[in-house]
Amino acid sequence: MSQFTQALWKFVRLNWPRIALGCSSVVLFVTAWWLYSAWLHAEWPFSGRTSGAAEYVPYPRQVLEALIDSFAGRDPVSHLYMTSHIYASLKRISVGFALAFVLAVPAGLLMGRSRNAGAFGKPIVELFRPIPPLAWVPIFLIALKFFWGPIAIVFLGIFFPILLNTIFGAKSVDPVLVDAARTLGARRRDLFLKVVLPFTTPYIMTGIKLGLGVGWMCIVAAEMLGAVGGGVGYYIYSMAYTVGLYDRMYAGMIVIGILSVLTTGIAGLVEQRLYKWMGMK
Amino acid sequence: MDKKIIVAIAIVAVVVVGVLSAALLLSRDSKEGIVKYVTVAPADMKGALSTGSVDAYIAWEPFVSDSVVSGVGTVLIWSDEIMPNHPCCVVVVRNDFTSGPDGQDLTKRFVKAHVEATQWMLDALADDTSANYTLLVNMAIQFTSRDATVVESAFGHIEFGYAMNASFKSALEQFTEMYIDTNMTTDEKLSERGYSSVSDFVGEYVNTSYLDALASVTPSDTILNPTSPIKLGYLRGDLHQMAQVVAQNKTVNGGVKSLFEKYGLNVKNATGAPFANGGAEMGAFAAGAVDIGYLGAPPAILQHLNAGVGTTIVSQANSEGSGLVVRAGEGIVSLKDLENKTVATPGESSIQFLLLKIALEEEGLKLEIKT
Repeated sequence: MSQFTQALWKFVRLNWPRIALGCSSVVLFVTAWWLYSAWLHAEWPFSGRTSGAAEYVPYPRQVLEALIDSFAGRDPVSHLYMTSHIYASLKRISVGFALAFVLAVPAGLLMGRSRNAGAFGKPIVELFRPIPPLAWVPIFLIALKFFWGPIAIVFLGIFFPILLNTIFGAKSVDPVLVDAARTLGARRRDLFLKVVLPFTTPYIMTGIKLGLGVGWMCIVAAEMLGAVGGGVGYYIYSMAYTVGLYDRMYAGMIVIGILSVLTTGIAGLVEQRLYKWMGMK
Repeated sequence: MDKKIIVAIAIVAVVVVGVLSAALLLSRDSKEGIVKYVTVAPADMKGALSTGSVDAYIAWEPFVSDSVVSGVGTVLIWSDEIMPNHPCCVVVVRNDFTSGPDGQDLTKRFVKAHVEATQWMLDALADDTSANYTLLVNMAIQFTSRDATVVESAFGHIEFGYAMNASFKSALEQFTEMYIDTNMTTDEKLSERGYSSVSDFVGEYVNTSYLDALASVTPSDTILNPTSPIKLGYLRGDLHQMAQVVAQNKTVNGGVKSLFEKYGLNVKNATGAPFANGGAEMGAFAAGAVDIGYLGAPPAILQHLNAGVGTTIVSQANSEGSGLVVRAGEGIVSLKDLENKTVATPGESSIQFLLLKIALEEEGLKLEIKT
């Protein structure tokens, strides 16, 4: 424990200016939010007529209370705790991520290293990549039903960033390295495992981190309909459109932000470990 | 390095298989006395029913007739069997609009045109050999993008009307009480908006004065609001809201002027209309983008109480017209048979959800979100 506190103390001592900067941006944002809300409510330091939009922009304090409330009690729409919503969303993100990872990395390596595979896959990728996941909602819900439908939407969001980064990484392997390995007698398998894959790993990891973020961006679309067992996206959508409890809606948005930070953070930790293990750092 | 990669791939594979199978296992469970529900857009309900994602659904017309006409489902119970004459869609006006210049007069004229359009529909529907009936069906086909069979079947189950009598008010009180019981809104919100009780709220929120003043409204030769049209809100393809389609149609009123124009009104669709659901339309009310709109009573009540959207109900648009559809050939012949089955609903605050809940509770069944 003392070792941990020492390490933490050392980290803070070395990085305090950046920590302070990070904190100040959050403080600045909350202050701006509070001022905007006070302006709409026409309360101190402002005065005048309350705006019709005031209820749509509650004070930070109200959102914090709603956030605590969502964990402490069941929500008024689906009568689930926030933990159930988080569990349901995490399940969708993790299954969607697992599928995207398993499919995008091999496909990306193949398309990046083989010109024929690239020529074959490119039109499909470029056609489907820009289609917003929201557009797929009705089709996926009917064709893939309630379990796989929402997952498929999250999957689309995660799949393309990983795929594109993997293709880019595999393509940009330094030809000098490849030639050098060949000269030293590397076979195709060695070339792939010892040159291409290690070189591409950082790109894949960037793709994963980007993809997880996009996956969370798709969660409201994914859970708008047919959200079995709830979900944070479902929570946000129903608080806004079903009952009009906007403080709770913002609380849901904060939960998504935190979950995204956590999942991307875990990916970052895995990345560090992976580099150490592969002897890259 | 070589071995490590294989180990890593093996670990990833195990994790993936583990997560997938755990998720599959956890997605199945059953309890006694429970009917499970899931939120589905009415437009997708027929698809969900035909693929077996759900065993039943409750929705408004034409989404009921959609499945019945195509043979995918049969109607287990109509909404009027659960609650006769239950309220459904209403005409809502923005308070800042009525308090604005000529707001009162324009609203009166709008309600007059709405009532006349509703009466025209009732007359047309009473005689299905009349030219007006054909005209109405054709307008509905265009508005809902459905064929004649679906539209005609749907008309058979909708009660168009405008009057707001005591049973209408008491039904709204019952709905509001149900929202308070489930915490969708609270007594604190009620008093925050200045209402002392549920009946006080409904008494204030439902304003019959425009309907009472109908006799005093006379047609106008000129358009009274040429430069500032009334911004009209309504929901996409909702057959319950046909009155606004009829009131905008020139043929209905002899071919020169629409019913809105007859009473001197310049009415145009609000930005964002048609809306996907009542919650979105109430958002547009709050933003001042809609002056007068057609929508279900629940979103109007909830968003008024919870988000303080300053609005008032000035007329009814229809009552009844929803149905519980079950999959054909599944042997579901009573509400009891729905135990452990999944029903799609348009959302937890909808009248359809409330009626389903009332009907199931009478059978000793509870409605819970599918997990």
